[in-house]
Amino acid sequence: MFYLSELEHSLRVPPHLLNLPLEDAIKSVLQNVFLDKVLVDLGLCVSVYDIKSIEGGIVLPGDGAATYKVVFRIVVFRPFVGEVIAAKFKESDTNGLRLTLGFFEDIYVPVPLIPTPNRCEPDPYNRKQMRWVWVFEGQEYIIDDSCQIKFRVEGISYPSVPIERAEDAKPFAPMVITGNIDDDGLGLVSWWDSFDELE
Amino acid sequence: MKIVKANAGALTNFEVLDFLNSRGASKDTTRVIAPIAISEYKVYDYLLETAASTQTRESVNKFADKCKDFKVAKAEILNIINLRPSSKVDLAPIIEMPDKEKGETRTIDTDGILELVKDLLPPLPTTDETSEDNDEEETENGEQS
Repeated sequence: MFYLSELEHSLRVPPHLLNLPLEDAIKSVLQNVFLDKVLVDLGLCVSVYDIKSIEGGIVLPGDGAATYKVVFRIVVFRPFVGEVIAAKFKESDTNGLRLTLGFFEDIYVPVPLIPTPNRCEPDPYNRKQMRWVWVFEGQEYIIDDSCQIKFRVEGISYPSVPIERAEDAKPFAPMVITGNIDDDGLGLVSWWDSFDELE
Repeated sequence: MKIVKANAGALTNFEVLDFLNSRGASKDTTRVIAPIAISEYKVYDYLLETAASTQTRESVNKFADKCKDFKVAKAEILNIINLRPSSKVDLAPIIEMPDKEKGETRTIDTDGILELVKDLLPPLPTTDETSEDNDEEETENGEQS
């Protein structure tokens, strides 16, 4: 789910943007600063929505640029707990699944939130991967990238930047969503195609 | 940086798509002319594959209005608009069912909601290519006559 958030920021408009109208120049600075970044407890910044006010324009001593105080609104991606989102499969290993939305790829489904009974087996098509299979009433449902996967948001966390990094550590992710696919209607969309009535 | 208001309003997928469209994003593969960042295009590409790509402002507003009669939370309405559930099993995970053990007597008319979805929100783009083609043909004929 996307939200609008209102922020206030002091920024420096470098002289090479002076040929643009002030609002455009400020917008381009804001885009450089915020776009595709995660703000803690606010979410992933998607797009600068509008600029509400511009104040100042002071030149600091020894600086060759004007500094403005801007109040603006920004579109952020911040799912709420309980929201259902359709995502795509990215990868899976013994710890669970990883899903992607294209613009956001840090969605993890840990083992306890995969429908049970399940089993984890080596993927015959990809030697590096393990794949998960949900066994239900004798039928085997393989979790793979054949179609969209719906998950429910269980939690969002904003880990702090690690001071020391282990050599084999995963790339740092500033926002991590924990997803649940263990419920009626969740999981691969194709599981529920032929299932019209809930008992 | 200071956060003035963390939540200045929720947006549906449709509204975000509409906003990016108004800024000049398009399906055009060149993608150089419009002043849209690569990260914004990633969001745009994601939204085009969702139900948002066939929705219109009128249909979304009308749906949100009528949904208020069903005693579902605002967040759930937004979730329904974004996902466009077409069957009960699609709808079930979105809506929090009343817990009978806790003595809640509220009932949710799931059939009514699904009916409303069918009436007001157009189906997903992948399942409805044929009817879109028909529409185009009709308008072409209209122009000729």
